[in-house]
Amino acid sequence: MNTFLAALFSGTSRGAIFALVALGLVIVWRGAGIVNFAQMGQAMFSTYIASTLITNGSNYWVGFFVALFAGAAMGALLDILVMRPLSNKKKTELLSSESMRAAVPVIASLGILGALQALAGILWAAEERGFPAPAKQEGLSVGGNVMPFTSFDIFVISVVALTLIITTLFFKKTSVGLAMRATALNQEVAKLSGIRTNRTRTLSWAISGAASSLAGLLITPTSNLSPNTLDLVLIVGFTAAVVGGLDSPAGAVLGGFILGMVISFVTFYDTPEDVFLSILAVLLLVLIIRPRGILGSKDVRRV
Amino acid sequence: MLVLGSRFDAYNQAQLAVVLILFIGVLSVTILTGISGQLSLGQGALMAVGGYSTALLIINHKLSLWVAIPLSIISAGIAGLLLGVAAARLSGPYLAGTTLVIALAIPTLANRFMSIFKGDEGLPVDVGYPPAWFSNIFGEPSYEKWQIYVALPFAALALFFASNILLSRSGRMWRAIRDNELAASLNGVNYSRQKIYVFIVSASFAGLSGALYGLRGLVGPSVYPVSLSLTLLTAAVLGGIRSISGAFIGTVIVVYLPDWIEKVLGNFELSEQVSNFLPSLISSLLLILTVVINPAGVAGTRLHKHK
Repeated sequence: MNTFLAALFSGTSRGAIFALVALGLVIVWRGAGIVNFAQMGQAMFSTYIASTLITNGSNYWVGFFVALFAGAAMGALLDILVMRPLSNKKKTELLSSESMRAAVPVIASLGILGALQALAGILWAAEERGFPAPAKQEGLSVGGNVMPFTSFDIFVISVVALTLIITTLFFKKTSVGLAMRATALNQEVAKLSGIRTNRTRTLSWAISGAASSLAGLLITPTSNLSPNTLDLVLIVGFTAAVVGGLDSPAGAVLGGFILGMVISFVTFYDTPEDVFLSILAVLLLVLIIRPRGILGSKDVRRV
Repeated sequence: MLVLGSRFDAYNQAQLAVVLILFIGVLSVTILTGISGQLSLGQGALMAVGGYSTALLIINHKLSLWVAIPLSIISAGIAGLLLGVAAARLSGPYLAGTTLVIALAIPTLANRFMSIFKGDEGLPVDVGYPPAWFSNIFGEPSYEKWQIYVALPFAALALFFASNILLSRSGRMWRAIRDNELAASLNGVNYSRQKIYVFIVSASFAGLSGALYGLRGLVGPSVYPVSLSLTLLTAAVLGGIRSISGAFIGTVIVVYLPDWIEKVLGNFELSEQVSNFLPSLISSLLLILTVVINPAGVAGTRLHKHK
């Protein structure tokens, strides 16, 4: 029973972080039609910035907010420097077909990922370093019993819940959020009704960058920080986004928690070595049974 | 090339062998992505299939590598068939992401089935020594030079097949799928079936490359990391994703880049940290610049703008 509870709580806390990663992927997919494989590279980079600040004596929260800001700025810069020029090149023969239009931004994002990882290796050495948590990582004791969850788990879950509420309010209640949803729905029509679609695109990159940096800050205390540590997180986040529906923010959150549970239960009841294979199995299962994902809309894009 | 090979020292002979071997792998990307428009990040995993097949056949069944390698190409082709059946339903980022998950998941099998694949330790194999008749005619080659002699006929064969298949009926169908699936199917191309075929062909190239790559000394998870798939893709894009000469140019760039950087920066006192990561930083930046500024790559300057 205790193992079950431990797996459940670890799955919830991990799942919350995967939900953030998947949400970041979904926001860029809706805003720009690109799956950003560099996303966790950006998160890794901004977490290193926070780590450097904190080791040099800054407060945890200074590092925390600087990292979020750096993540947002990096996302916006990547869109302006790489992705926007790329989408303006659609007229060239290489990019004229639909399949290559989908493939080339993915290649660009892989290049960005490689560059960020190499740069982090040069700047901050390749060996792993720890990253501090703002709350205790020992099991909480309630009435003398050590519970299977930590105060850091509670911190993670509440931060993610807060972020999801703010994001939902942003998309539903603000005019900028409305403009972004309109752009996601139909770029031409949005443009015709006076929305500057280039700006909403860049904004979606920035929001996604901040969300994934938050994920980086929340996951590194339990894993360690090195240029490659977040690669697995990206894979899980991608699978979560596909499971939930690549164009559905609510689906991304759902997918994140499903993946969190799958990974946690495989780790607790089977062996951690099977985690990759179970992720692959979940991904293939969804792609075969319901390619558009649990909450994905029907014909936004053929899979 | 053999003349070149004989003039080089052992290190450069080994590098030349790597160029020949990876060229075959890069061709697999050129065929899959450049010709038929399917982006796969799992080519490294298919190379691993080829490498492990060869190693197991040589170690457990005492086969000569000239028998083991063709059998490994078949086994990689079968892996490609399975991948193709799954991939025929997918496109664009879905395919890229799924193949990336596969590339990460396959190497963990080495630890899962410890008794067969020997985990992280891997299976030691090598190209062995040339047969007596070879040494009698050409003289006793060094180990590195023998690697080149083994890789060369396979690379030539791969080059021959690749250039012919691109001009064949299949090549035309694959280009049609890349350019417009709907139009292709209206012209009688069964695109699901053709996608599976192109995956089989591409996987066979990758398997051959992986078999030779492992025969340099070791077949193990560390020999076929995910970054290997990205290296192949980088080489194919830098050289020119649609052309065979581009595949060769890209391979040369990717293999020799670390040496060139060391030559240029050798006078500066660089820390180990910088010199370890500089090649991958520069090749990543080259990849981004190529995609943004000249997506046709070094060899593909003939691409013209559409009206």
